[in-house]
Amino acid sequence: MNPVLTTCGFCSCGCALYIESAAAARVASLYPSANHPVSSGRLCMKGWNATPAVLGVDRLTRPLIRKRDRLEPASWDEAISFTASSLKRFISDIGPQSVGIIGSAKTTNEECYSLARLARGVIGTPNIDGACRLYDASIIHALLQTTGTAAPQVDVNAVAHAGSILVVGANVMEQLAHVGSRIEDAADNGCKVVAVDPRTSRLAPHTSLFLHPYPGADLIWARALVKAIIDRKLYVDSAPEAPGFEELRSSLDEAAGGLKAACGIDAGEIMEMAETLAENPPLVVMFGLGVLQQLQSTEIVKALADVAILLGGSVMPLRGQNNAQGACDLGLVCDLLPGYALLTNPAARKVWEVIWDCQLPAKPGMSAVDMIRACQSGEIKGLMVFGENVALSAPSTEESLEALDRVEFLAVSDLYLTETARLADVVFPACSFLEKDGTFTNIERRVQRVRRAFEPMGDSRSDLDIIADLASALGAEFPRDPRKVMAEIATSVSLYKGVSYDKLDESWGQQWPAGGAKAKLAPVSVGVAAKDEAYPFRIIASRINYHQQTGTMSARSSVLAREYPETYAELNEADAEGLGLRSGRPIRISSKSGSLVRTLMLSDSVPLGCVHVPHFFGGDSPNMLASYECDPVSGVPAYKALAVNVEAVK
Amino acid sequence: MKASETWVLKKTDVSKFFAGVAKEMRLVAPRYLFGGDVTFGVVESPGEIAWDYGHVIYPPKRFLLPHYEDMFRYECGPPRRIRLEAINEAPPQAILGIRSCDVSAIRFQEKFFGSPIVDPYYKARSDSTVLFSLVCNAPPKKECFCICCDAGPYLNAGFDVQLTDLGDRFLYEIGSEKGTKATEAGASMLVKAGSDDIAERRRIEVQADLLFETTAYLAKAIDFISADEVPDEIWEELGSTCFRCGACTNLCPVCTCYTVDDRAEADGSFTRCRSWDSCQYAGFTREASGHNPRPTFGSRVQRRFYHKTSYPYIMRDGRHGCVGCGRCISACLTKLGVPDVVKRIRRGMHKYLPAQDRAAEV
Amino acid sequence: MVLTPAKPRKMWGVTDQPSENLYMPMIAVVDEIFDETPDTKTFRLCFEDKEYAKSFSWEPGQFVEVTIFGAGEAPIGFASNPLEKSFFELTVVARGKVTQMMHELKRGDQVGIRGPFGNCWPLEAVKGMDLLVVSGGCGLAPLRPAILQILANRKDYGEFWMLYGARTPADRDFKYDLEEWAKRDDMHLLQTVDIGDDTWKDNVGVVTTLFDKIKIDARNTVALNCGPAIMIKFVTIGLLKMGFSEDRLVTSLERYMKCGVGKCGHCCVNHVYLCTEGPVFTYQQMRALPELKL
Repeated sequence: MNPVLTTCGFCSCGCALYIESAAAARVASLYPSANHPVSSGRLCMKGWNATPAVLGVDRLTRPLIRKRDRLEPASWDEAISFTASSLKRFISDIGPQSVGIIGSAKTTNEECYSLARLARGVIGTPNIDGACRLYDASIIHALLQTTGTAAPQVDVNAVAHAGSILVVGANVMEQLAHVGSRIEDAADNGCKVVAVDPRTSRLAPHTSLFLHPYPGADLIWARALVKAIIDRKLYVDSAPEAPGFEELRSSLDEAAGGLKAACGIDAGEIMEMAETLAENPPLVVMFGLGVLQQLQSTEIVKALADVAILLGGSVMPLRGQNNAQGACDLGLVCDLLPGYALLTNPAARKVWEVIWDCQLPAKPGMSAVDMIRACQSGEIKGLMVFGENVALSAPSTEESLEALDRVEFLAVSDLYLTETARLADVVFPACSFLEKDGTFTNIERRVQRVRRAFEPMGDSRSDLDIIADLASALGAEFPRDPRKVMAEIATSVSLYKGVSYDKLDESWGQQWPAGGAKAKLAPVSVGVAAKDEAYPFRIIASRINYHQQTGTMSARSSVLAREYPETYAELNEADAEGLGLRSGRPIRISSKSGSLVRTLMLSDSVPLGCVHVPHFFGGDSPNMLASYECDPVSGVPAYKALAVNVEAVK
Repeated sequence: MKASETWVLKKTDVSKFFAGVAKEMRLVAPRYLFGGDVTFGVVESPGEIAWDYGHVIYPPKRFLLPHYEDMFRYECGPPRRIRLEAINEAPPQAILGIRSCDVSAIRFQEKFFGSPIVDPYYKARSDSTVLFSLVCNAPPKKECFCICCDAGPYLNAGFDVQLTDLGDRFLYEIGSEKGTKATEAGASMLVKAGSDDIAERRRIEVQADLLFETTAYLAKAIDFISADEVPDEIWEELGSTCFRCGACTNLCPVCTCYTVDDRAEADGSFTRCRSWDSCQYAGFTREASGHNPRPTFGSRVQRRFYHKTSYPYIMRDGRHGCVGCGRCISACLTKLGVPDVVKRIRRGMHKYLPAQDRAAEV
Repeated sequence: MVLTPAKPRKMWGVTDQPSENLYMPMIAVVDEIFDETPDTKTFRLCFEDKEYAKSFSWEPGQFVEVTIFGAGEAPIGFASNPLEKSFFELTVVARGKVTQMMHELKRGDQVGIRGPFGNCWPLEAVKGMDLLVVSGGCGLAPLRPAILQILANRKDYGEFWMLYGARTPADRDFKYDLEEWAKRDDMHLLQTVDIGDDTWKDNVGVVTTLFDKIKIDARNTVALNCGPAIMIKFVTIGLLKMGFSEDRLVTSLERYMKCGVGKCGHCCVNHVYLCTEGPVFTYQQMRALPELKL
């Protein structure tokens, strides 16, 4: 019963856990590390109930192949060779660009890297992207162009010593408990916490200022905030020397209209915010999916980065998933090579062409969203999805489901038979983070060890093995030992230089270095608040703390599932009365792309003109209401602030 | 201390002594893990025991009330006939180096699980467990407040064998039949404690008392809570920062609540298993109809403190439900450890008391 | 005399422990299934072990923990005549995981039974007094054993009034009993529904609308109530107004339960474990439980 020290696979806090196994796939005990800098002896509700969540009774334990329109159990050989031969056929008949791969933000660094290599180096397709495209990919270019680091600049513990914290569009107390706990510590020590979110949240008791803009209007007030800082000269002395300062200043000349009417925050509040943040260094600027899944997410992130740079503070993007950072670091991004090398940079391509012994196209391939759409058009013939329930996390659910159903060949690797897996031609049973070795990179750029605590359930395998099997069937031999894969990463990706399993075994992980690049200021464009007569409401989509994304894992823990009340949506009492809607009755929320039915509850925490639609396990996700409209720079779909109509269900 | 029951064990004899104990039962003791982390685990040899460990997060209660415990198995074999099979794993064990707070908590649990109805699983494990506790010469962490809860840093009663570190030797006190029996094998290695051994122990007792940093004045909270005088506003304010993680109850060595699930196995059989549950989760009381008698965070924080500090429970359990181990302070993501809540209730009640009573308030 | 619920003669884990251990059930077989309403079924169960069946006894108000193999365990109150030795009946609404799977059982299927648990309606203590039994919807099931026992010992009690309310005529449990009881001249049964239909001749309205039709002396009457919480609330207000003393209003409380033996903590209301010290309480006892906010 030797405790195995590993890293939690739920959120990006990356807590260290000890797991003791009683027997195969049976946990005897689970407890946090007292001395790990993030977990510090504490876990959140998901961490405490992690093991039942990933060791659910309906875990996939055998590969499945679709035969006569039904998924039937098959051997690994069959599943791999069927997949490989299908891919080979597409490659020879049409070309490698007819194949697409969507990777996960939950798989290990070694798996993410190997998948990128499989796509670019073996299959030769440019269509390789990651789940981050559906969540937080906006931070990549927005921060590379400003702070220079596509990652948080501060440690979780440093948050507790901040002088002021700006938290925008993040339910941080419920989604990243350890960051939330340090925010509370900071507030207890006099830190000024300024929160901005259309809806109030459990941050409220700790804030000195909580502003509620209209959904979708963040660029408007963020621009006003940057302008206030510059006009009133609240910036630090070195700010005017930062590259881009003059350009930024002139980009703010174009006047925006009535602030309050446009975004719900007035000039006085903007000034209060600016002064509070300027007068209380050091500042940490945080933002979550509320910003990152908005239509103009890249622009908003740049504006918020500007705020941080102007005030001499740091940026901490709040990415939710356990290895969102690592997945992007290691190239599961359609226009990047590992280490944030631009695909369009010939020198970078040359380097990787040598390492991977392949040819690399200069043009980026399709994003995950484009790949799904291309399944409908037929441009993509073969799609592989690893560890992401895209059927529920992609926008325009109805269309996406149809596209995934339609594509000629779909292979899915996952723990459970998700909605995506149900549409597949081949299903690979993957094993969870408790059953394999590897590394995750947390919200502090801390690369940490994931250690196997159980033998994989049934016949499930790690994604690393699955990817190596596919590579082998396609003629390339990939290392199966994650230690060796990391050794290759450490020599080829400068951010990961010096990372090794030996060093990881001696420490609480190794953080890759941030800073180095000089911060640049970016111009801020004018935000537009669109109004749609046919769809007069805006949704506020939230996540609740006992649910992780589409709930694939958390629904399997009876304790977590028990927390899950009926699916509901909330309206302000006045709006409900105006529409003649009654509490406890079903209402239909519809957009151009889809509709869903929820039980109505009333809450005065929901602003007028908004409907709060929480994400719940599976089923009717608010993603259904989103169209394929994406942030033009990052290609992340706009899931937030969608224009909807609300009515009673007859 | 009964002088006749007080002995001395030289540290040089410790390994041999416990190797003897290990012949009869498995040894559970503190072990270092990684980076300074400590846990109680089964040790193969006394050499692995980290006698100098400070404190441990994960409570040794898990050796009597496991985090996940299988109760029985059943098969729905053909033709739809049920076969039940009891599971009862209660290996004889000696828990070494356990602190007084955890010992008090185990005695509390033994009383709770032993009456009025006897829980067979707890009884089996408790019957086959002997505790070799270790006095705290100084509070192992700043959050300790056992001294306010009559549960440490040493005990006058309720222990099996109590060890005190006197430098090159342990003071060895036997406090129960179980302790006597477990000592038999190594009795020849013990010598009677002398007056300077006792004096050294007294000195340690006095010294330890001065080193506690955390205090919890439970009395007023017990009064207010028992009389149901704490208004909802105070509870809701306390609950407004709760993360609902369940750590306070998981790590509390006194807490006993559990849930039961029938788990499907790969071979088609089922195992009924119980696991630690928490009254701090909203689903703890949610009924199948959806109705939840404790729907707010505040009502759940109130429940935790009612269960721990109200007179009816104190009368039934023989003591209040806190041993001052401080785990709920260090495990809490906000500030809902027992001392913090007790203080905030006491101070919050000032608003609600008639003027003349305020003078008497601490 | 202050009325309190009766202490049971038998209680699992206290008076006896017939199975291998406290948490392991005895096996019973489904003998018959009756559809009471679209979402309610009554299951007639017989223990496999006939010797055990002979020694098994229980009293009105008590409950069992039923294991539906493959799903889990749920607490269900006895709903049949306690004097009947060859079987007992449980009336179940399909709401959660376990009860939903229970509704899929067929005759001959096995279930696990632990019990009896809980305390009882005070039928001994109220002998000689007048009785008012008020129930709504599925709340009739826990009272049915009490009613059957009262009727079997009719001369021991005074006037016997019974009020029963349901949403619609079809939603009434035990329609066959109600028909019989309506015909009896030694009890007064008044029924009401929220929504009537073409065949419904009786009262329409909530159960409290029947109050002005009953003729009792509150000083000599004990009320036994069971039903949805909201109904209990208004019935209690109405009966207190009529002059009932707080100890003469007796009800059966409900909470999420798991172990049934006062250990897991789920069913606690303040310091009281509903499984071992309830679920039957007088209003006077309930007023001493601050969590109920009465």
